[in-house]
Order: sequence, then C-alpha cells, then structure tokens
Amino acid sequence: MVAIVVRRLLWLPVVLFFVSVITFLLGFYAPGDPVQVLLGVHATPDTIERLRHEYGFDKPIFIDPDAFGLAARELSQGKLPLNAIQQFFDTQYFRYIANALHGNFGYSLVKYRDQPVGELIAERLPITLQLNFIALVIGVSLGLPLGILTGLKRNTRFDFTVRTFTLVSISISLLALLPILTFIFSRRQDIFGIQAGPILPMVGGRLSTISGTDFNDCFGGLAPTLIGWGVQPENIPDTRIICLNQLPKLVLPILIESLGYIAIMTRQMRASLIEVLGQDYVRTARAKGLRERSVLVRHAMRNALLPIATILGLSLGGLVEGSFLVESWFGIPGVGALAVDALYAREYYIIVALVLIIAVAYVVALLALDLIRPFLDPRLRQVE
Amino acid sequence: MSNSQGNNRWLVGIVAILVVALCGVILLGAAALVILTQPGNTPPTQNTPGVSTNSSAPARTPVPTRSSATNSSGKKVLRLPGGSGGGGDPPTLDPALAGDAESAVYVAEIFSGLVTLDPNLKVVPDIASSYDVSDDRMTYTFHLRKEVKFQDGRPVTAQDFKYSFERAANPATLSPTADTYLGDIVGVKDKLNRKAADIKGIQVVDDYTLKITIDQPKAYFLAKMTFPAAYVVDKNNVERGGRTWTDKPNGTGPFKLQEYARSQRLILVKNDNYYLDPKPQVDEVDFILGGGSPMTLYENGNLDSTRIGIADIERVQDITSPLNKELYVGPELSTQFIVFNTHKPPFDDPLVRQAFALSIDRQKIVDVVFQKMPLVANTILPPGMPGYTEPSGKPEFDTTKAKQLLSQSKYAGKMPDITWTTVGAGGAAANDIQAMTAMVKDSLGINISIQQTDWATFIGQLNDPSRNPYQIFDIGWIGDYADPQNFMEILFRTGSTQNWAAYSNPAVDKLLDQAGVEKDPTTRFKLYQQAEQTILSDYPVIPLTYTRQYWLTKPYIQGMIYPPMIIPRLRYVSISK
Repeated sequence: MVAIVVRRLLWLPVVLFFVSVITFLLGFYAPGDPVQVLLGVHATPDTIERLRHEYGFDKPIFIDPDAFGLAARELSQGKLPLNAIQQFFDTQYFRYIANALHGNFGYSLVKYRDQPVGELIAERLPITLQLNFIALVIGVSLGLPLGILTGLKRNTRFDFTVRTFTLVSISISLLALLPILTFIFSRRQDIFGIQAGPILPMVGGRLSTISGTDFNDCFGGLAPTLIGWGVQPENIPDTRIICLNQLPKLVLPILIESLGYIAIMTRQMRASLIEVLGQDYVRTARAKGLRERSVLVRHAMRNALLPIATILGLSLGGLVEGSFLVESWFGIPGVGALAVDALYAREYYIIVALVLIIAVAYVVALLALDLIRPFLDPRLRQVE
Repeated sequence: MSNSQGNNRWLVGIVAILVVALCGVILLGAAALVILTQPGNTPPTQNTPGVSTNSSAPARTPVPTRSSATNSSGKKVLRLPGGSGGGGDPPTLDPALAGDAESAVYVAEIFSGLVTLDPNLKVVPDIASSYDVSDDRMTYTFHLRKEVKFQDGRPVTAQDFKYSFERAANPATLSPTADTYLGDIVGVKDKLNRKAADIKGIQVVDDYTLKITIDQPKAYFLAKMTFPAAYVVDKNNVERGGRTWTDKPNGTGPFKLQEYARSQRLILVKNDNYYLDPKPQVDEVDFILGGGSPMTLYENGNLDSTRIGIADIERVQDITSPLNKELYVGPELSTQFIVFNTHKPPFDDPLVRQAFALSIDRQKIVDVVFQKMPLVANTILPPGMPGYTEPSGKPEFDTTKAKQLLSQSKYAGKMPDITWTTVGAGGAAANDIQAMTAMVKDSLGINISIQQTDWATFIGQLNDPSRNPYQIFDIGWIGDYADPQNFMEILFRTGSTQNWAAYSNPAVDKLLDQAGVEKDPTTRFKLYQQAEQTILSDYPVIPLTYTRQYWLTKPYIQGMIYPPMIIPRLRYVSISK
C-alpha cells in the first residue's frame, strides 16, 4: 500500500514538469505580452524594451544555445565549462523553477502590481474551495437519492420530471440563469415588513458584499462549532450567529453551482443503478427470496456506486477550478475570476501557478480515488 | 414488487423535504417580487441593526457595510464604487507605477506633487506655491510651501522631491510612465537606460527650492508634472515597507489610506495635515470594490454615486424616472477613431479613405447604436482639451460624393479584400462596427469582413506600427495630460509609436515642431488647429465619437465633480444629511 502511494507520488514531479513546460511554451509564444498590456496604448518602444529587459523577458525561454559557444571557448582555454553550464540554464523557465522551489511564484505584473502570486492565490483559493465543496456536498446529497429514486421508478412521471429538470438545469446557460435568479431574489430590501432576516436569500440587498471573510467566518468556524454543538468556546465569536447572517448572501451562488453536480449525480446514479439491477446476480438474489431492500443495499448499491466514486474523485480534483461567471457576477473573490483576468492581462506567473495547482489537485484526487477503489470493489484487491 | 414502496419512503422523505425547502424559497422570493412591485411600496433605506453583528466579535475590525451616509457616530462617510466608477481593484497604489485610471483615482487623493490640475484642467500650484521660468524656458525653479507635511507629520523638503524623482527614474523601480512624463527632464532617460546614476537636471537648491531643467523649451512640461510619476513619496516609508510599502503609505494628499482589503473595500480618511483649501469635507470615503454590480448597489442605497453603462442608460434618461434627476454627464478627454493603415492597400490611396469617410453616417451611429451617450466627433481634439475648436457643421456624410471619389481611385473595380479588425471575444462583433460595415456596403458596394481579436494581442500588434498587419481598425485615445500636444504629436507625427495610421506629412511635422516650443499659448493652439485641419483633410483617421461619462449621484451629496481627467476631487465633496 505504501509502495503504491510512493510510486504514484513520484509521478507528481513528472506531471508537474510536463504541465509547466507546456504552459510556459503556450504562454510565451502566444501573441501579446504583459508589458504591452501594462503600458496599453500609451507605450513607447523604449519603455517596452526597457521593461522587458528588467523583467527578464528578453532571456531565452528554456535553454540558451549561445552557451555552447561559451563552452567551446572555455574548453579551448583548458577550463571546465562551468560558466557555460550556468548560462545554459539561465533562462526564464529554470529561473522560475528555482524561485518556485523557494516558494516564490513570481509577482503580478499588471493587475495587482508587486503582489506575490502565492499570496494572491492563497487569498482566493479557500473561497473557491468552500464554494465548490458545499455545492458538491449538496449535489451528492440531493443527487444520489434522486438518482436512486428515478432508477427504481424508471419511466414513471416522477422519473421524467426529474430527468427533464436535470437536463434543463445543465442546459440553461449561466448567462441567462444568473440575471433571472438575481432579479427574482436580489433587488428588494424587505418582505412583509420583515427586515431582511436570514430566512430568505437576499443577495445584493443590504447584504451586498460577499467577502472572503464571510466564507471563512461562516464555514471555517462552523466545523468546530458543529463538533461541539451547544458548547460555545469562550474567546471565539459565536460563529453560528455570524454564519446565519452571512448565509443569505451565499445561498444563490451555491445553489447555482450545485445544479451541475446534482444533475450529474442524479443521472449517473440512475444509469448505473439501472444497469446493476439488470445483472444476473441481482436476479439470483431476488430468486433466493431476499427482501427488496436487502437486494438494493447489499448488492445493487455497492456496485452502482463505483462509477459515482470515480466521478467524485474527479470532482474533488476540480474543486480548485472556480467558475468565472458565477464568481464575477456575485463579486466573489475566487480563483475563477482571477484566472480569467490573468489570462486577458497575460499574467504569466499567475497562469502558470494556477495551472500547476490544478495539476496537483487532480493528481492527488485521482491518487486518493485509486487508493479507495479496492475497498469498494473487491475485484481490485489484488496484491500488486 | 410490493416491498419497494415501503422501503423507499425514507429516500422519498429526504428528497421531498429538500425539494420543498428549495421551492418554498423560490416561491417566497417570487411573492416578494409581486408584493413589492405594487405601487406605494418603497423600500426604506435604513440599515438593520441586526445585520452588522460583526461588532460583537471582539477580535475583528468593524466591517463598514453601512448604508446611510452618516453613520451612528456622526461621521460623514462617502460611499463610492471602485476606481473610475466600475468597481474593481487598482493595479497599484505606487505613484511611480500608476499609469492607469483605476490606480490614479486613489493615488491622486493619497499623494500629491509640485503642481496639480484644477477642475477646469488648468495647471495650478500644489506643494510648490510658485515657480519661476528661466528666459530660455528650459529651467523651472519651484518654491515649496513650508507648511506641507507627510501624513505622519514629517515636513516635506526639496530633498524628498529629488528622492522621489530619482526613484521613479530608477530602472529597478520598473515604472511604465517615467519615460513619458519625466523623460523631458535632462538626465532622466540616461538614468532609465542605466547610462547615468543620477538625474543631472534636478537640483536641490535649498530645503524649499527645487530646480528642474528640461531638454527643450517645451510648453507642455508643467502639464506633465501634474501626473503621479512626479508626486513626492517618503523615503523612510518606501524603504521600510519594501515591496508592499503601499499597504501603509505616508503621502501628502488630502486623504490617508486606512484600509485596503483586496476586491472588497478601500477606505480613505481625511488628512488633518492637508495644506490646500478647500480641505476635505467628508471624514471618510469607502470604495466598495466587490459585491456585484454598482448600479444595483446604488439603487439599494449602498452607494452614494455610481457610473452608468449602456445597459442602464435608457432607463435613466427617461424623464419620468426618479433616477433622471440624479443624472450627471461629464466629458472625457478621449476620442474614438476609425484608423486606416495608410501603408496597406487600398488605404494607401487617399481617395479611398475619403470615400469611406463620406459613406459612414457618424451621427446616425451615435444616435441609434450608442443611444446618444457619446458626442459625435468631427475633430481630433475632444471638447475640454485646451485648443479644441467647435466644428462648423455636422460630420460629413455624402454617399454620392463617396461613390464618385471611389470611381476616381486607382482601386476602382479592383478593390482588394478588406478586413476590419476590432477587439472582441467572439460572438457577434460590436453593433457599431456591424453598422458601419453595412453602411459602406450600401454606399459603395464593398464587402468588409470583421475580425475580432483580444485586447492583449491587438495592442501587441499595434505597438509596432512598421509591422501593423491591420487594414482598418477602431481604437480610442485618452489624453494623458491636458495639452493638445498629447493628441496631435503622439498620434500623427511621422514615426511615433502611436501613429497607428503610419501617417507621414512633413508639413504637419513642421507645424508640430513649431507648436512644441511656441511661447504664446494662443499662437500655439492656432498652430495645432492648423495641423488638425491638414491631418483631417488627408483622412488617415475618421474621428467617431468623444466619450462622455454618465454618473448618478444621490441628492444629499454636494460638490461632486466629474472632470474629464483624473484629478484630486474628493475634497470638494460634502454630505448634507
């Protein structure tokens, strides 16, 4: 078991290497560069050249072939080509790697000048993670039961209704859904004279600013409070009250994000349940006289959950990807909004860092998935 | 299958509860909408005491989500959307790095310099109470006020200015604006290119006297000195703060930075040490950077002023709307152009360019597509720019003459393919481009295909005019400083980087040379106007619109101004509530 984990984790640097090389290639060879974006229409060739030089963008990207000339000269002088080797690797890519190993992922060049990329992402990642995680939890907790129900009651009106709903909810473009839901919920201040209590989701009213602290206060503090529910530690503010106040703002974005997960979970659960229920061993179990619930839980469900586990694993990897549309609409300072801004402004360092983070997330998530699968599926419990 | 119904009840139960809860929420929301759209139900604008319970948390800084302009302690708080009105973060708060409007809005309030612009864009004294100009007009001697202090109380001296200029011209500072705004000072370009360690042209005469020498008797030098690159910064503040010194800036401007939570809010408080009149009249300015659309926030009473975009303009221009009374329109120092690449066929033939210009009905574009938000443009300089001349008639539109000119051109009957390049993200091109290409098709029978590209690629191609691959494109120019030289010379001198049309006319260059050093302002402006007329008759560009800014401001706010350039303006604002 340990061997498996270690072997898989050894692949991580290899994956990161390939991902970073490709991203660097695409980034630097694509048209447009951050200095041009920074200077905009008011650029002069002097300034562009000067700044590109100061930022090191005039260095070669991966390797410096001029170093061979230097090596030849050094060798002909009877010296070890140490300077040449250093020059060979004095390129943008290797400087980046060297800095990254020290925790320095570069700085923002255009949109948040001089802010370290690591800090920028660290500020926003927890927000996106919490948003996506809660949406996923809702997706699973609603989607699985719905999937089971529709799988069991195949072709009933209930089944058709649910399937239509899931299809429609994935198909409606967010660009239409966001304004509609916001208009319904967010343009008024109070209802029946009640001053915007926490019962109703009122985004954009008085509770207009969603901030990172709102997320962290609410969900970050909720876990310890839930564990010791009823026990309120002395010096920690009552997170239950803070959360209840912030919750209204968060309902709408979470709702919208969870629609996708609900749809996927429902459909996949339904499909795999139907497939499993058609298998021979289920027929055998029923023929043996087992109660239907026993058939379901002990035989069908375990097998039906296998594809769900795979989807869950992939979804966990995808938690670090923020939805740009949702985040910019509600003004949520998450990773999705940052990524698209960085793309338009050609912020190389932010883009590379985000891509690397996503790669790590997927590698780790898939590793966890592969470790868990033998527990779910005894057929995989071979000794490797 | 008789067991299945009973066994599924628990599942049905869970799903039913969750679904009912969601439906209930949606239904209540819809009901609320119905109730509140009944006439007579106006939402109150008072905040609920119960909402900001953040104050019950001892370890946190109070979160200012106040919705009334005067909060409970009687402080006057002005609430604005971020930056130039659309929300969003400033890229930087460092005066040496600030080159864009979003940053300049804050930098102009936190810091200040030798001179500044008044609301009419005239250069007026700031930290320098007066200045003398030498006879050859190349040396300026600034006399500093003695009472000016940094926000921490330390007095400002000429050495601080020398430090600030040296810092801005230091290549390691990576200033994108030093070349343009300080480049006329002797020695700055050498320092930027690492050919000199100090700026020769800046001399500290004594604690309150600073001498600056420029390379030519340029009349627009003082206008450039109003720009943030010339502001003064505190050496201790910068060196102790390191890379993120702007988190706690020690400036000289009318407001101090109290808090900046990225993407959330930026809070300025008034500087009690401020030296000019009028002193700031509000205690605090909250810029709301996140939380969704500023228009929604304004209508809900969370903002005191907001900018309006084309999506809301119709609603606001309706005279029966209450918002219409809160509407203010101001000019911007900016002209949008259609640019012909005079090096690429068929636009190397002036007859073709003129034919195109005459076949586009600019007034109609402004009236119909832009809903009259901008003004139609007929000159290069926009209104508000010194030297602007009101054109005598409407913009030319004559399809008969256009056809005639085209038939006389060398491309008549042999027109090459034409592509109009514009900035876009895919999907349909902007309505005005579509309209204009349709007009050309109708008048001249020429098909123009539209190509969209993203901003970074677009600007990358344009910044090297010798390799500009575009035939015809649209772009705007915003004035950097309030002097006609900024439009005329930068956009139309032979060889200038921003001469996107690759226009070259020695007669115009000569006029620009003369105007650059002409002493008498009236003669100067006449020379620029002459150049303008010459350029326009060659049609390297078609001026399309002058953009305007539209703002909504609550009636209890007084003194709010909407100048065409970013100048320090918050100290004129007061709240009467």
